[in-house]
Amino acid sequence: MTQLHTPNKQEKSLIIRFLPVIFFACIVVVFYFALFADPFERPSELEGRPLPEFQLPDLYTDGVSYSRDSLLGEPFLLNVWGVWCVTCRYELPYLTQLKNEQGVKIVGLYYDQEHDPEFGIYADVPKIREDVVNMLSQFGNPYHINILDLDRDLLLDLAVTGAPETYVIDADGKILLHHLGEVNERVWNEKIAPIWNQL
Amino acid sequence: MEIHHYIPELGNLALTFAFGFALALSIVPFWGVRKNNHPIMELAPNLVVGQFIMTAISFGCLVYAFATDDFSVINVAQNSTSLLPFEYKIAASWGSHEGSILLWLLMQSCWNIGFAVFSKQLPKDTRTLVLVVLGWISVGFYAYVIIASNPFERTLPYFPVDGRDLNPLLQDPGMIFHPPMLYLGYVGMSVPFSFAIAALILGRLDTSWAKWSRPWTLLGISCLTMGITLGSWWAYSELGWGGWWFWDPSENAAFMPWLVAVALFHSLIATEKRGVFVSWTLFLAIAAFSFSLLGTFLVRSGVIVSVHAFANDPERGIFILGLLAFVIGGSLTLYAMRITHVQKDRTQYAAISRETTLLMNNMLFIAATIVVLIGTLFPMLHKQAGLGAISVGQPFFDQVFSWLLIPFSFVLGVAPMMRWKQDNLNRLFKSNIYVFVVSLILGLAWVLGQFGQWNFTAIVSASLGCWITLISLRELFKTAQKLGWAKIPKAHWGMIIGHIGFAVTLAGGGMATQFTDERAVKMHIGDKVELSGYTFHLKDIEATYDSNYEGHGARIEVLKGNQPVGSILSEKRFYTVQKTVMTEAGVDVGFTRDLYVSLGTQFDDGSWGVRLYVKHYVRWLWAGGILIAIGLIIAIADKRYRRKTGKLQERAA
Repeated sequence: MTQLHTPNKQEKSLIIRFLPVIFFACIVVVFYFALFADPFERPSELEGRPLPEFQLPDLYTDGVSYSRDSLLGEPFLLNVWGVWCVTCRYELPYLTQLKNEQGVKIVGLYYDQEHDPEFGIYADVPKIREDVVNMLSQFGNPYHINILDLDRDLLLDLAVTGAPETYVIDADGKILLHHLGEVNERVWNEKIAPIWNQL
Repeated sequence: MEIHHYIPELGNLALTFAFGFALALSIVPFWGVRKNNHPIMELAPNLVVGQFIMTAISFGCLVYAFATDDFSVINVAQNSTSLLPFEYKIAASWGSHEGSILLWLLMQSCWNIGFAVFSKQLPKDTRTLVLVVLGWISVGFYAYVIIASNPFERTLPYFPVDGRDLNPLLQDPGMIFHPPMLYLGYVGMSVPFSFAIAALILGRLDTSWAKWSRPWTLLGISCLTMGITLGSWWAYSELGWGGWWFWDPSENAAFMPWLVAVALFHSLIATEKRGVFVSWTLFLAIAAFSFSLLGTFLVRSGVIVSVHAFANDPERGIFILGLLAFVIGGSLTLYAMRITHVQKDRTQYAAISRETTLLMNNMLFIAATIVVLIGTLFPMLHKQAGLGAISVGQPFFDQVFSWLLIPFSFVLGVAPMMRWKQDNLNRLFKSNIYVFVVSLILGLAWVLGQFGQWNFTAIVSASLGCWITLISLRELFKTAQKLGWAKIPKAHWGMIIGHIGFAVTLAGGGMATQFTDERAVKMHIGDKVELSGYTFHLKDIEATYDSNYEGHGARIEVLKGNQPVGSILSEKRFYTVQKTVMTEAGVDVGFTRDLYVSLGTQFDDGSWGVRLYVKHYVRWLWAGGILIAIGLIIAIADKRYRRKTGKLQERAA
C-alpha cells in the first residue's frame, strides 16, 4: 500500500510563503515572450465563422442586389476597396493577375467614406461609378462582381478597419482568413495561397 | 568651442558620477552594518547627498539642452522644436522615454535625501540599511539609463536644424505636472519597501518599522493620488470626447500601485496601533513598490501599449524586465524565507471590531487590484496562448468595480467609528440605522429631484456618498465635543477629509457616468442648439494660433433661458511640425455641471461639425481626488509622529 502524502502544517506554510514568488515568476515568463511578440499582429475574430448575412446592391446597376447565398458555391476572395484608397491602386494589378492566371474569383466590396446621412451628406453614386470605371480601366479590373455597401452594414459585420482588406471564403461561406493591408506576391505565397490551394 | 557646447557631456558625466555614488551607497554602508562599524554607516547619508546633487545636475543639463534647442542631442531633436512654447520645452525634458526615466531617478534621489534628512532619530542600523536598499534600487535604474536609454546621446556629426516637436497630446498644462507627480508617487513607495526589506534583513520584525514608515507611505500616496487625478483631468480636456477614465493599460499601471498603497497604509494603522497583521503589512509594503515597478515596465517596455513598442529594440524591455525580476523576485524570496521569524499577533480581536473592518478594507482593495491586474494582463496572456487578440475594456471593469464599491463604501462609512478589539453589533446598528435611512432618502431625493430618473447606479452612489459624508461629519463633531476643536489630532482631520474626498469622487463618478447629455450637430455661424436646458449659440469661428500650431476656434455663447452662462472657445489645432490635427475641447466649468464643446471639421457648405455635452458633476471626481491628497498631507503633520520621534531621541540619548 502506498501512503498518500498529506502536506503537514510546515510544508503548507512553505507553499503559501513562496506563492507570491511563483506567481511573479510566471508573470515574468509571460512578459519575456510578450516582448518579442509582434504588437501589430491582430488575428481576426472572424476566422472560422460564417460570412454574415446581407442584402446589398450591385455597384454598377440599380435594382440588382446580392445576398450571402447568391455568392456561395465556389471559394472566392472578398476584397474591400475604394477609389480613395491609395494602397488599393498598388494591389489592383496583382489581383488582376491572380484572376487572369489562376482563375481566382474575387468579389469587390466597395467602401465609400463620404456617406454620412446623420450629417446630411449623401454619397453621389453616379460619381462613384464614374471614378470606379476610371480607376479600374487604369489599374486593372480583378472583380467578378462589385457590391456597394453605402451604410457599411456588411463592412461593420466584417470588422473592417480600413482598405484594402481581403477575406478568403470557402464554397460553404466560411471565412478562412482575414488579411489586413495589401495583397502582393509575398502575402499571396506565404499567407493566402497555402489556404487557397487546399480549397 | 565654448563651454555651453559641452553641457550634454557634463550631464552624462554627472549621471555617471551619480551611478558611482549609488553603487558606493549600495555596498559600503551595507558592509558597515554587517561589521557594526558606525563611521562607515555614517557614510550613507553623505553618499545620498552626492547622488542627489549629481542627479540634479544631470537633469538640469537635460533641461538646459531642451531650453536652448540643442538639436544635436537626439532626445531634443525628437521631442522638441524651436517654435515650441517655452514651458513645453521644459516639460518635453520628461516627455520622452529617456527623459522620463531620468526624471524617475531625480525623484528617487529626492526621496533618498528626504529620508536621509528626516530619519536621524531612527536606530542607526535601520536607517543605514533603508538607505542601502534605496541605493540598490537606484543602481539598477542608473545602469539602465546609462547603458540602454541615455538621454544625452548626440546626433553628431550631422544634426538637424530643427526638432520634430513634442507630441501635441502632451502639450497641455496637465502634462507638465502629471508625470513628475505620478513618478514622485511611484518612487515614494520605495521608502516603505526599503523599510520592509531592512526589517526582514535585520530580522527586527516587530511593529516599530510600521510606525516609522507610515508618514512616508502617506506622502507617497498623496503624490500618487495627485498624479492620477491630474492624468484624468488631462485626458478629459485633451482627448476631446469628454471621457475621464478609460481603463487603459497605462492608467491601470498607475491605479494598481495606488490601490495596494492605500491598502498598505490602512493595514499599517492596525499594525502600528494593535500589533496585528504584521506579516501581511510587510507583504503589502513589498507589493506596493512592486506594482509601481510593474506599472513602469508595462508602460515603458511596450509589452502592452503597441504604439510605444520596442519591436525593433527589445534590449530595453529585457533590461527593465531583468531589473524587475531582480528587485521584485529578490524581495519576495527574501520575504518568503524570513517571514517565519515574524512575531505573532500581539493582541486578539473579535469578529466585530475595527481590526476586522480594516481587514475587509484590505481584502476589497486587493480584490480590486487583482481585477485590474487580470484585466490588464489577460489580453496579453490570451494572445500568448495563441487564442487571438482580445481587449478587456470599460464594461468589464465598470461592472466588477460597481460591485466592489458597494460593500467597500458601506464598510468605509462604519469603520472609523468602530472600536478596536471588540465592538457591539447592536450598538452599531442602533447608532447608524438612522444615518443609513437618511442617506438613502438624500440619495433618492438628489437623483430624482435633479434628474427625475430611476437610475440605480446613480442613486446607490449618491446615497453611499451621503452615508460616508454624514458619518464622517458626525465622527468629527463627536471628537470635537470630546477634545475640543483645537485638539483634534491632525491624523483624524486627515482621515475625515480623505474619506469625504472619496465620497465626493464616488457621488461625482456615479452621476457623471450616468447623466451625460450629448449631441452631435452641424452648425453654421449664428445657429442655436438646445441641450438639456442650455442654448448653445455659435457666435463666430476665430483663427487661433501659437508659435507651433494654427487653427480655428469656435466661439460659443451659452444661455440658460435668457441668462448668459458662459462663453466657450473650442479649438481644432493643426500642429505644423508634427502635421497632426488636435482637438482642444472648450469647457465651461461649473459646480454641478460642465458644458463641454468639441469642434469637428468644416463641411463643404461652410458649416461645422460640433459635439456638445452637458456633463453632470464631473468636477467632483477631481475635487475628491484633491481632497484625498490634502487629507493625506494633513495626516503627515500629526503631532504623534513628532512626539514619538522625540521619545526615540531621548531613548537614543
